[in-house]
Amino acid sequence: MKNLQNTFRLLLILSLSLTAEQLYEGLNEEQLQRLTYLSDNIRCPKCTYGNISSSNAPISKDLKEEIAELIIIGYSDQEIFNLMEDRYGEYVILKTDPSKNRSLFIIPLIVLLISILLISTYTIKKSK
Amino acid sequence: MVTRFFTVVVLVLLITMLGIFSYSLNQKSAQLELIKTQEGKQLAIGKEIYDLEGKKIEKEFLTDGKVLLNVWASWCITCLVEHPFLKSITATKDVKLVGINYKDQINNAQNYLEKNGDPYVLSIYDLSGDFSLKLGVTGAPETFLIIDGEIVSHRIGEVNIDVWNEKFAKYF
Repeated sequence: MKNLQNTFRLLLILSLSLTAEQLYEGLNEEQLQRLTYLSDNIRCPKCTYGNISSSNAPISKDLKEEIAELIIIGYSDQEIFNLMEDRYGEYVILKTDPSKNRSLFIIPLIVLLISILLISTYTIKKSK
Repeated sequence: MVTRFFTVVVLVLLITMLGIFSYSLNQKSAQLELIKTQEGKQLAIGKEIYDLEGKKIEKEFLTDGKVLLNVWASWCITCLVEHPFLKSITATKDVKLVGINYKDQINNAQNYLEKNGDPYVLSIYDLSGDFSLKLGVTGAPETFLIIDGEIVSHRIGEVNIDVWNEKFAKYF
């Protein structure tokens, strides 16, 4: 039992040293959250799909570091998105603007609503 | 009667939806454009840059006249594939080919050039990848043609004879 506990402690210590690499110096809690949000919503330019927070490509690591630096300098989220869009194109912004492809969101909703109406009228009529 | 009306409406809506989607897919602007190339932008040099021997490179060296910038690394397999082509280009044409050694160890880089030949005038040593990042490099290999400080042509991926003819040949 004691051995097991020790093994567990060892694993805990090892896992701590593993995550230490991902910490960015000089960022406070709120800035770290922003970094996570931004890297979740920017696509890795080297990979066909996947955001930079899930990617191990060298460029993703560089981009995360650059974004951390920009956050420290005082860039807003939108400014960082704009900078990335300017450099790599709209393709890398995963957080798209719904107003640009409204039909994609609205038409399925309309179809769903009408289907619900259709089914309810049908079942009500049948139950009478 | 009511149900039939609704069925027709749903069917019409479905067809319009499919119609809109297939129309937008066939439009030219919707052609799958992946990563934007850096064409039309100015070459930005922030920090000081050094070559593989540790000599400082002046900014003017890259912004004067026609410069072909090629991103390479000893760990990059595709770079090795395009290497013979780069050598043939520098041997037959008047091209100022400058390498960017991307995230590489100096020893490995020098061994690579000794083993495979060195078509570059010199290679910028970019261990951190910072210079390349600001340039818009996404990985190795990539090739930029810079005329008087402006990026005129940019290829993401290897350069072979077809790509050369399409993107670079007209400038030489």
